[in-house]
Amino acid sequence: MVSGPAARAAEPDLDRQFTQTVKPFVTTYCVACHGGASPAAGLDLRPYTSLSMVVRDYGQWNLVLEKLSAGQMPPKPMKQPPAEARAAVVEWIKGVRANEAKKNAGDPGVVLARRLSNAEFNHSVRDLTGVDLKPTREFPVDPANPAGFDNSGESLTMSPALMNKYLQAARDVADHMVLTPDGFDFAPFPMLVETDRDRYAIQRIVGFYHSQATDYADYFEAAWKYKHRAELGKPRATLASIAAESKVSAKYFPMVWDMLEGKQDEVGPIVKLRGMWRHMAKPGAWEEEIRAQAVEMRDYVVRIRKVTAMEFAAPLVRGLPAGSQPLMNWKWRQFNSHRRDSDPEALRNDTDPPPVVPEIPRYPGLHQEGAYRAAAVMKKARAAEPDLVVPAAEHARYQAAFEKFASVFPDNFYIQERGRYFPDDSQDKGRLLSAGYHNVMGYWRDDTPLSELILDAQGQKRLERLWTEFDFIADHTNRTWAQFYFNQSGAVDGKGAESGTERPVDKALDSPEVIFAMRDKYIAKAEASKNPLAVEAMKYHFQWINDTLRTNEKLRLEAEPLQIQALLKFTEKAYRRALTPAERDDTVTFYHTLREKNSLSHEDAIRDSIVRVLMSPKFCYRIDLKSGAPAKPATGTRVPLSDTALASRLSYFLWASMPDDELLAHAKAGDLQKPEVLKAQAHRMLADPRARGLATEFGGNWLNFRQFETISSVDRERFPSFTNELKEAMFEEPVRFLENIVRNDQSVLDLVYGKYTFVNPVLAHHYGMPEVEGGSDHWVKIDDAVQFGRGGVLPMAVFLTQNAPGLRTSPVKRGYWVVKQVLGEVIPPPPPNVPELPHDEAKMDAPLREVLAQHRNNPACASCHQRFDNYGLAFENYGPIGGRRQKDLAGHTVDTKVTFANGWSGEGFQAIEQYIREHRQNDFLDNLSRKLLTYALGRSLMLSDEPTVDEMKQALSANGYRFRPLVDAIVTSSQFRTKRGPEKEQRGE
Amino acid sequence: MSDRTKSNGLSRRTILRGAGVAMGLPWLESLNAFAATNAPAAYPKRFAVLFMGNGVNEEHWSSEGNGADMKLSKTLEVLSPIKNKINVVHGLFQKRATGMGIHPAQTGCLLSGAQIQKGAIIHAGTTVDQVLAAKIGQDTPQSSLVLACEQPMTGYHETNFSLAYSSHVSWQSADSPVPTEVYPSLAWDSLFENRGSLRNMSVLDRVMDDANALTKEISSTDKAKLDEYLTSVREVEKRVDGMRKSKEKADEAGKGKAIPVAMMERPANGLPEDVRDHARLMCDIIAIAFQTDKTRVASLLLCRDLSAMYYPFLEVREGHHAASHNNNSDGYERIARFHLSQLAYLAQKLDAMPEGDGTVLDHSCLMWINNMLIGRKHDNSRLPLVLAGGLGGTLKTGRTLDYIEAGDDNRKLCSLFLSLMDRMDVKLPSFGDADTRLAGV
Repeated sequence: MVSGPAARAAEPDLDRQFTQTVKPFVTTYCVACHGGASPAAGLDLRPYTSLSMVVRDYGQWNLVLEKLSAGQMPPKPMKQPPAEARAAVVEWIKGVRANEAKKNAGDPGVVLARRLSNAEFNHSVRDLTGVDLKPTREFPVDPANPAGFDNSGESLTMSPALMNKYLQAARDVADHMVLTPDGFDFAPFPMLVETDRDRYAIQRIVGFYHSQATDYADYFEAAWKYKHRAELGKPRATLASIAAESKVSAKYFPMVWDMLEGKQDEVGPIVKLRGMWRHMAKPGAWEEEIRAQAVEMRDYVVRIRKVTAMEFAAPLVRGLPAGSQPLMNWKWRQFNSHRRDSDPEALRNDTDPPPVVPEIPRYPGLHQEGAYRAAAVMKKARAAEPDLVVPAAEHARYQAAFEKFASVFPDNFYIQERGRYFPDDSQDKGRLLSAGYHNVMGYWRDDTPLSELILDAQGQKRLERLWTEFDFIADHTNRTWAQFYFNQSGAVDGKGAESGTERPVDKALDSPEVIFAMRDKYIAKAEASKNPLAVEAMKYHFQWINDTLRTNEKLRLEAEPLQIQALLKFTEKAYRRALTPAERDDTVTFYHTLREKNSLSHEDAIRDSIVRVLMSPKFCYRIDLKSGAPAKPATGTRVPLSDTALASRLSYFLWASMPDDELLAHAKAGDLQKPEVLKAQAHRMLADPRARGLATEFGGNWLNFRQFETISSVDRERFPSFTNELKEAMFEEPVRFLENIVRNDQSVLDLVYGKYTFVNPVLAHHYGMPEVEGGSDHWVKIDDAVQFGRGGVLPMAVFLTQNAPGLRTSPVKRGYWVVKQVLGEVIPPPPPNVPELPHDEAKMDAPLREVLAQHRNNPACASCHQRFDNYGLAFENYGPIGGRRQKDLAGHTVDTKVTFANGWSGEGFQAIEQYIREHRQNDFLDNLSRKLLTYALGRSLMLSDEPTVDEMKQALSANGYRFRPLVDAIVTSSQFRTKRGPEKEQRGE
Repeated sequence: MSDRTKSNGLSRRTILRGAGVAMGLPWLESLNAFAATNAPAAYPKRFAVLFMGNGVNEEHWSSEGNGADMKLSKTLEVLSPIKNKINVVHGLFQKRATGMGIHPAQTGCLLSGAQIQKGAIIHAGTTVDQVLAAKIGQDTPQSSLVLACEQPMTGYHETNFSLAYSSHVSWQSADSPVPTEVYPSLAWDSLFENRGSLRNMSVLDRVMDDANALTKEISSTDKAKLDEYLTSVREVEKRVDGMRKSKEKADEAGKGKAIPVAMMERPANGLPEDVRDHARLMCDIIAIAFQTDKTRVASLLLCRDLSAMYYPFLEVREGHHAASHNNNSDGYERIARFHLSQLAYLAQKLDAMPEGDGTVLDHSCLMWINNMLIGRKHDNSRLPLVLAGGLGGTLKTGRTLDYIEAGDDNRKLCSLFLSLMDRMDVKLPSFGDADTRLAGV
C-alpha cells in the first residue's frame, strides 16, 4: 500500500494540474451558473483556487465528479466541453480522491463518545440482568446519522426530557430486582408487592417440577429401547446412555428396569406389570403402538396405586376445627412420608366375604374433617378392584409385593396444588403449592418421592434452594403465622374457628414468646381431649414455625453482606471493566449513605444503588478513557485502544450489547489486540445467538425496516389478513435471513440472489407456501422459494408493504428502496410541486404503470426516475401487502416488464436480479461494505477509509463472498483497533 | 426525631412487627397549606373513603329530615355536631356485589362496580378513589394514601373468591389492589420522608459525581458529549428540588406558630395494641395529609370484611365477624357506632382547619360506607352510607336522601360515584354499571 509520505509527495503535481487544467475548465464551463450572486443548487465553484481547498470540500467535488462522468453536467442547452477535457477533469478528481485516501489510510477518525442507543441499552440490560426487560420501549426513536445508523455520537444526544426517561427506566429495572440468600436476581415482572413475590418464587418451583421426568410411560418406553438396543442398532448402549437419550432420570431408570426385568419370582401387581411388559411389541412396530403400550402400563400402575395409597385424617381435638393448622399440618406430614407405602388395609383375602360397599356420605361442612368421606370413596374404589383380592395363604407374600411395587411407584411424585381442605365437588384449581387452609393462605411442600427417586444430588440441592428462596423472597411462613394469629387462633380460646387473638402487648408478633405462648394454649387444648397424637402435633407445629422464622431471620442478616458483594459484581459487569478501588469504595459508601442518612431499608438501598449504576455514564455511555491506553502514546497519530475499550467495541458491533465473560477475560489477559485472538473472538461471537443484534440493528437500519413494527398505513379492513401476527412475521423474515448469513458465514450475495428464505406458519400462509406446523415462533428454511415468487430480500413482504402507501403499490418507492438502500445510490429529492397520485388502486382507471408514464416522458422527471422506477415496476405482481397477484385492485392485469436505459429488458424480479448481477453487483458489494464499516466504526466514513473499503471488497471476492472475511477485514483494521492520539488533537483536526 | 435505624441492620419492617405503645400525634394548628392564602374558590378538593365491613345494626340506622331538624338514630347520633355538613344516604346498592355469594363477592367490587373473578386469578376493577388519584394525583407528592387498621388475609373463601377482595377496597387496576399500609409510622413516612421523586435526588447527585470524575479522563471532543449528560442531570435535579422546596413552603405556610411538620413527633414503630389508638392515628395522618396537601385522595379500611377485630373496650366478647352474625344486638350497635365515630372524628378535625371562607371539610368529601346492611343475613340489597363535606360548595349538605323506592336503575352506587367525580372535575361517561348520575345529589 502506498504510504502517507508517498501520497504527500504527489500533492504538488496535483496542485499544478488543478491550476493548469481544472480551474480553467471550471471557469469556462461551470461558473456561468455555479457562480454569481445566487449560484445554481447553492454550489459556488469560483472560490476554489488550490488543491487543499478541493480536499477540504471533497464531498462537493465528488458530486462534480458524478455529474461530469454521467454527462448530466453541463446540462444540454449549455456549451458542452470536448470529451478529452471532460475526461481529464474527471481523472484529476479521482486522483485527488485516491491520493487523499492513501495519505491518511487507516485514520481512526473522530469517534464521538455517545450514549447507548435504545436497542443497545435494551440488549445491555438483558445481558446484565438475564431478563429481556426492554426498558426503552417507550423512549422516543433514536435519530440516525447520515448513513442511516442510530449508533453514532453524530446523532445520539441527551436532553433533560430523555434523562427523565432514563431515570424512570432505571427505576423500572430496579423494581424487578429480588433479593436471594446469596445475592440478587431479576424477575420477569416487578417484585414490589407480596403477591408478585409469591408468584415468582412459586413459578420457579412448579417450573422445576414440570421439567422433571415423572411419567412412568416415558420410563417404560425407555426400558423397551434398552431391552431391544441391539436390534435398534445400539448394542453398546447402557442404562445411563438410554436414560440420557430418552431424557429420563438416570437415577430412577435402573429401578424401573429392575422392577420389569428382576429375576426373582413375584406375585400380584408386579407379575401383572411384567406380563404387560413382555407383551410389548417387537422392534419394527409403529412408534405409536409402543407408546400406547407404555401408556397402558402406566395407567395400570396409577390405577393400582390410587387404591393402595395411604390416606390420613387429622387427629381430633374437641373445640378445634379439623382444619386447624397444627392438626392439618400433621395430616399432611403423614401423607408426605407415606407416598411410597402400600396400605395393608387395601388387600383382602379370597376367603373373605365380598366387601360391603359403603354409602358415600355427603360432603363435609366447613371446618369438618373431609378424610372420612375420602375414606369411604377409597373403600368403594377398593371394592371394585379385583387385583386387590389375594390368596389368603399367601397374604404376607402379596403384601410384600404390593409394598415393593409402591416403593418403586409412589402415588405422587409431588403435589403441586391443593384446593380447599374440605373436599367438595368444586375442584379448585390453580392454587399452586397451597396448603389448603381455609381463608388464610399457606404453602406446603410435598415432593419427597421426587427428591428420593428422580433427582440426582445436584437436582436435590437445587430444589432445596428453590424452597429456601421461596420463604426468603416471599416471607410466607411469617405471613401465614400472622394471619393464623389474627384470624384463626381464637379457636383455642373457644371463640370459634374464624376468630383470632388480640394484638400482643409489648412483644413482636413473631417473637418466640408469642409463638410459644400460643403453643402452650394449643397443647392444653389437645391434652384436654386426651389425644397424644394431637399433643405431638401441637409441639411440632409451633416449634417448626419458630425454627423457620429464626432461620429466615438469620439468613437475611447473613445475606446482607453477600448482597453488597453482588452489587459490586453487578456494577463491574455494567461498567464493562474492572472497578478501581475508589469505585468499589464509592459503591459501598453510597449504599451506607442510603441506609443511614436516607433511612432506607436494606432492600431499598440496594435498589437505589442499582438505579445509580444504570444511570451512570459509565454504563449508559460508550466512552474511550485515556486511562487504560499506554502511558506514552507512540509517535505518530494513532494510539491502540485499551483492551477493555476494544472488547466493548467488538461486542457492540457484533451483538449491539455488552461483552460477555469470555471476551472480558481476554481483555483482562491483555491479548485482545493480537489479530488471531481478535478474529477468533469475532468468529465465536458471530456464531452466538446474540449476533441477532447485528441482524436487527445493522440490517434493520441498512435496509430501513427497523420501524416496520409501528407501521399503520395498511388498511386492515381491505386487507384483513394483515394481522399483528403477520406484521411481526414480516419483520422477522429479513432478521432471520440476515442472522443465517451472519451466524453461519454464508455468502452475502444470497441477499440479492438467494433462492431461499425463512417463514413461520402465518408467513408461509401469506406466501402461499405449504403449511408450516407449530406456533408463530417456529421458523423453517424454505430452500426453493423461487417457485412461490420469493428468495432473497428483494421480494420480501416487509419491504413491499413498507414501500406501498396502503391501498396501492408504489413502484416509485419500491424502486427507490432497491436503488438507495440495497445499491447505495444517492438520488436527490423530488421537486416540490409534483401532483399526488391517487391513493386507492381500486379507483384508478389505468394501471399504475401508465399513470407513471410522465416519469418517462418528461425529461426533468426522467433524469432521476429512470434510475429507479424500473426496479419498482418489476414488482407490480406483488400487491400492497406483498402478496402475489395477477391483477391489481381495480382489475387491471399487472405488467412486470422492465426496460433499462441501456436497452436491457426483462420481466419480474428475476429480471432485476439478473440485471444487478450483470451490471450493478459491484455497487451492491460496495454499498454493503461501506455500510458495515460505518456501523462498525460508529462514525461516517472519510476518504481515508477508502483503502479499507477496497480491502473488504477484495476479501469478499477472494472468499466466496462470505460474511466472516468481511468482518475480519473490519476488526483487524487500524480504524477499529486504534484511536487518534494527542498530537492530532492539538492540531485541531 | 425518633431513632429509626438499628445497627443490626434489620429492616424497618422487621422491627415494626413488634406491637407498639399507644400514642397519638400532638395536634398542632397552623399546618394548613392554604390557610394563609386568599385565593378564592381555588382550594383543592379532597376525597376520602372510610370502610367498615359486615353491616350495622339496622334497627339503629335511620335518619329523617334535613338541616337543623334532622333526626338521627342511635348509631348516627355521633354525627350530630356536624349534621348540617353531612348527607345520610339510604337505599343505594352495588348490583354486581349481589347474588354472587357472601363476603368477598360482596366487597370486591364495592367501589368499582366491576365483575370480579373467582379462582386463582384475581381480577376486579379500578376503584373510584384510584380513578381520582390517577387524574389529580400528580399535583401532589403522593397520588393517594391507602391505609388500613387490619392486615389482609390472602387465602380463599369457601365461595372460591380470594380473600384479597375482602381485605382491600382500593384497586389501582383490575389486577392489583393497592397494598394497604397498616403501620402508622410507615404511613407517616410515606408522606414526609424521602419518597417518590425526592428519593431520586441522592441517585442524581451521585451520577453527577460519576460524570464529573469521567471528564478528567476523556478527550476534549468527548467532553462535549458528557456536558450534554451533565446539563441534563442538572435540569432534572432542578425540577426535583423545586418540588421539594414547594413542599417545604406548604409545610411552613402557616406563619406565626409555624412548626414545620418535619419536627412533629412521628408515631412509634409497631401496631397500636388498642384499635382505638390505631384508628385515631390513621385519621390523624389523613387529616395532616389533606391539610398540608400531601395528597387529595385517601382510603381507610377501618376493618376488613370478615374482620377478626376485637373490641374489649366496647364490652363485646366476640370478634367482629362473629358479632355481626348477631348484628341486631346492642354489642354490635356499639361496634358500628365505634366505626362511624371515626368519620365524626376525622370530619370534625378537618372542620377545625380554616381554609379561605370555610374549612378543609367544606372543600372535601368523606364517604363512610359498609359492604352490607344486615350482617346476619349478609343482606347488601341496600347499603349504609354517609357523606361529610361540601366539596367546595358543589355538594349540598345537611340532607337525608332515600333512594329505596327509586327503582334499581336509579339507586346505583356507581351513579353516586359519577356524581362525586363530576364535582372533583373528573367527568366520565360511565363507571362500573352506571352511565347516569344519581338524581337529587
